[in-house]
Amino acid sequence: MVIGGIASLAFSLCAEEKKNSYEVFELMSASSPNDSRSKEWKPGDGITMEVSGIEWVDGKLAVAIRKGEVWMVENPLANDPAEISYQLFASGLHEPLGVTLDKGDLLVSQRAEITRLRDSDGDGVADAYLTECDGWNVSGNYHAYAYGPERDGKDQLWVTLNLGMGNLADNRIGWRGWGGIIGDDGRFVPKSLGMRSPSGLGRNLVGDMFFTDQQGTWIPATPVYHLRPGVFYGNQESLESLKLPDAPFKMKAKPKPNQPYPDALAESPEFVPPAVWLPYNKMDRSATDIELIDQKGKFGPFDGQLLVGEFTNSSINRVFLEKVGGEYQGACFRFMQGFPAAVVRLCFSPDGQLFVGMTNRGWSSLGNRSYGLQRISYSGITPFAMQEMRAKPDGFELVFTEPVDPDTVTPEAFSMMSYTYEYSSAYGGEEILTKQHEINGIEIQEGGKRIRLKVKGCRPLFVHELRTAGLKSADGKALDFPNAYYTLNKIPK
Amino acid sequence: MKDSKCKREKPTGLVHRRNPVGWLTQQGLILFLLVTSLQAEPHVIGFERFHSAEASVEGGAILFSELGCANCHGDSPVKVERKGPKLVDLSQRVEREWLREFLRNPENGRKGSTMPSMLHGMSDENLGDILAFLGTIGKGIKFRAGRHANAERGSAIYHEKGCVACHAPTADYRGPHGSGNDFDASLAIAHPDLQAKTSLEALNLFLSSPSKYRPDSRMPHIQLEPQEAIDVAAHLLDIQASDPREVSGVDDWPESTVEEAARGKALVQKMNCAACHEIPGLKPDGVREIGGDGAHHCLSKEKVEGLPFYNLTDLQRESLLLFLQKKDGFEGDGAHLTLAALNCYACHDRDSVGGPTTAANPFFVGNEGLGDSGRLPPPLTGIGHKLKPEWLKGVLEGKAENRVRPYVKTQMPAYAAHAAGLTEWLEELDRPDDPVPLEDRADDRDVGRKLLGIQGGVNCITCHNWGEQKSLGIPAVDLSNLDKRLQPTWFRSYLLNPAEYRPGTLMPPLWPGGKSTLPDVLGGDTERQIGAIWNFIEDGEGIPEGFPDRSGGQFELVPQDRPMIQRTFFNKSGTKAILVGFPGDIHLAFDGQKGKPALIWRGAFFDAYDTWFTRAAPFGDPLSEDVYPFPEAEQAGRFRGYELDGDGNPTFIVSKEGREIREKFSVTDGKMIRMISWSDGGAPDVSHPEGVETIVEEADDRLTFTYFWK
Repeated sequence: MVIGGIASLAFSLCAEEKKNSYEVFELMSASSPNDSRSKEWKPGDGITMEVSGIEWVDGKLAVAIRKGEVWMVENPLANDPAEISYQLFASGLHEPLGVTLDKGDLLVSQRAEITRLRDSDGDGVADAYLTECDGWNVSGNYHAYAYGPERDGKDQLWVTLNLGMGNLADNRIGWRGWGGIIGDDGRFVPKSLGMRSPSGLGRNLVGDMFFTDQQGTWIPATPVYHLRPGVFYGNQESLESLKLPDAPFKMKAKPKPNQPYPDALAESPEFVPPAVWLPYNKMDRSATDIELIDQKGKFGPFDGQLLVGEFTNSSINRVFLEKVGGEYQGACFRFMQGFPAAVVRLCFSPDGQLFVGMTNRGWSSLGNRSYGLQRISYSGITPFAMQEMRAKPDGFELVFTEPVDPDTVTPEAFSMMSYTYEYSSAYGGEEILTKQHEINGIEIQEGGKRIRLKVKGCRPLFVHELRTAGLKSADGKALDFPNAYYTLNKIPK
Repeated sequence: MKDSKCKREKPTGLVHRRNPVGWLTQQGLILFLLVTSLQAEPHVIGFERFHSAEASVEGGAILFSELGCANCHGDSPVKVERKGPKLVDLSQRVEREWLREFLRNPENGRKGSTMPSMLHGMSDENLGDILAFLGTIGKGIKFRAGRHANAERGSAIYHEKGCVACHAPTADYRGPHGSGNDFDASLAIAHPDLQAKTSLEALNLFLSSPSKYRPDSRMPHIQLEPQEAIDVAAHLLDIQASDPREVSGVDDWPESTVEEAARGKALVQKMNCAACHEIPGLKPDGVREIGGDGAHHCLSKEKVEGLPFYNLTDLQRESLLLFLQKKDGFEGDGAHLTLAALNCYACHDRDSVGGPTTAANPFFVGNEGLGDSGRLPPPLTGIGHKLKPEWLKGVLEGKAENRVRPYVKTQMPAYAAHAAGLTEWLEELDRPDDPVPLEDRADDRDVGRKLLGIQGGVNCITCHNWGEQKSLGIPAVDLSNLDKRLQPTWFRSYLLNPAEYRPGTLMPPLWPGGKSTLPDVLGGDTERQIGAIWNFIEDGEGIPEGFPDRSGGQFELVPQDRPMIQRTFFNKSGTKAILVGFPGDIHLAFDGQKGKPALIWRGAFFDAYDTWFTRAAPFGDPLSEDVYPFPEAEQAGRFRGYELDGDGNPTFIVSKEGREIREKFSVTDGKMIRMISWSDGGAPDVSHPEGVETIVEEADDRLTFTYFWK
């Protein structure tokens, strides 16, 4: 285990080598590279900081770890590792995968319930472990995790429930693959279904809730969804619970598998598309947490956007959302890569620093350590990036963090293709019905801050993949990441 | 075969280039056209590979079977009879144009086809009638809705899963050790011109279940997942589109009249097509005597009306004639003829005959850390003695649970219809005359555990997996179930000299020259040591010595000065079990689903490794045998959590019928104290663990129970 220090691992969002836009401070990580897939993996000495939940609590950082503990990190913003200390707050929990502050207590998810951890005597250690919410079924299937709770703009606390893997019977019991809220009587109130591994929850600026799912059975690529009642997100293994008396709604039709996603969506009014697809490998393999950037510039030029953690690639992606025709849709971009383990949880401190919690165990990631906790801060150097990508009736509008050098804006600088996925029970799916689009108009606006692309034949419900080549900022910087992926559920009128 | 009568495969350079089959790719086309006019004889792999150097009885026997002679004349010398494909639903599966040309001259449909010409002397009108009849057979297929097809992935499956054991790789394929463009295809079985013959959906249907249309297993029942089948079909047809629905099906066959079909049926009946092909509504004629008048017989060099015509080479004809002279009373040649006919030899050798051809060998991939055993299917030498009959049958049936070499990418096809017969036959064939029995003493069981291990044993687990436990090194075959697979007498003789069975194996002789290297174990008695290993495996309890021990090890929770609490999945306590370990070695499991205590036990508390660090999340158990369950009961109340007092003792809170019941547990002086209080009303019902002494103290607002042992 390593405690503290400026991370030696190289990050670069900004093209210039020495002046990074984002800097990394390592609080703690496993000390050595470790094959996290090995069955013989054993934790080292000290705190096994396999982060599964993070919450900012009154100047401290509450960190849940997978073995079942909650630690309070004191003085987590210190730049001297010696000033940071760790205090055990709660233990004996069953795989806590989320932690949220509520009325001075912490709420944590466990396999079978949401638990309120209360420190009644104020000695810094929880002495009451009270059931805050229960009512979903747990068969003992390893994959049947519970996530949350996460608070939306209406003060509702949302919980999402994984499907089991391996034995389908494990998913015929109540509410596997569902999301819902904590009811007034402490019962889980199911709201929507069709999830597989909804391991990340987060709200946007106006308080609407979103969640990530992960590529797998019925999920061709990783999606980010708008979480709300009364909808179906596609995974049919969750349908069994519709037969329960507490089911909040009935589905009018079950979409048939083995057809393109847009065709399947048309078959069921409850079936909704992701707000954003994160195309497999190009962007993402298994998404985890969602964290809103609401830092008034303290974390760079991306306020209002969502950061999305990524397990397998040990990275963080960025999602821009807009409402078109009353529904969210938008684009995704890469943000930071090269973390030492799978990124599982994200949390901002009030001063605009981002804590990144990591753990590899059970699967594997590009990171070669087993776990870790890092802090990312913005240096004030604006990265040259595609800040936004917006849909227009005849194409797209790109917004850049800095003006683009007009000389680099050539017809060859842009290309676009679109594709969708097959809706199928298979584990992951490929891009299908791929089509190249002609770009028949490029317009530079606001001195290069914006570029309008007129694109021929855009297709609703398809992912539109934009590739750029050779774009430079006025001072010669290359784009941090040249591509963007817009999920064009609706074409604005 | 003890004394090999058949010819071994020769080095590639010496084999006659009789029938180079190429893909209809740009590179392959030139070669293909060059040889078309020269190469016309039937290509029977078992003959070409083993008996094409000089005429032989065995070569003739294989031809007699594989050219379908036995279907009319009886007495197949091969265990599984050669048949043609089932003639059903042809109009949906096969292009009429292709079939017409094929019937005119089978060579035009597939190079090396073993289908004889049957139609010489017939008119175009006759052929039209036959096609009209063939187009009426079958109940009709409903092709499934299109799936996504990926030819590139299909290519990977085609080249890695075993198709290239028999068929040529694609010219543009580059594997880790071989590439398609310099492949010597002389011993590969040609595909027909698939693009001319069939469609994506029809080929998908066929690949999904070959035995449905090919009952004779010459094209074996490969076991592909639905997605794999369509991917391989797309690869074979070189289809780049990803949406199968964009690919056209078989062209509609023209409508035919009832009269045409009836005339066609009569012709098909007259030709006795049903001798080889299953045709609904038609039966084969009886056995026909071999004879003919002089030049007028099936082996004639010229076509004879009313008889099948095979375009045989002189060597093939000579071989057949040699066989026919000996046919009466022919006893076969061990398993050789059948393995050659079914082309088992494409993957397996037996008694050093067969195994992957020189050309195909580089395409067998797997875990090379295991040497050739990690990528090549196992030998069939003595297979009927090696495997227990039930297991062998399961292997032949293609059962997934009988696959013990996940690292070998080539996958054993299924021979379900023939599995029972082949098993019985191989058992009989390979039964040793006087096998040395295994010295099997139950008392030696624990020595077997030690011998398998790495502390004073013969280190089996250094290389071999044991159930879920990975070996300490390379992942060689799981040993934990070998008593289910192997016959004990074979096991004994194998251990004494592994390389005799499999030359080049990484498995060392652990008893070199039959002598034990461990003189202090069972007196150095080789027979008893081998017997002890078998005994331990057969007993099925425990794991070999030397695997990292996780139970009761460094993750045992040992309560020191305060109680320890851990939630987990726990046997007899549910998926919401709350374990409480007390100093004083009395412990509790509280069932949070039922809202009641489930178990108490004395001794060691709990090993948390699986709860803390195992993804599979298995249910735990007490680290003790001294366990006292509470009586089974339905829901006692709704669990609402627990609170800890200053000493860390928990009070469980349960709500029931509108009131709150609290149960506090603590341990002092070897006794567990359970104190129950409630918010209003009378005392709740309480049950106690069996086998434990109980003292009850009653007060108005609480009940206190002391559990102790005499």
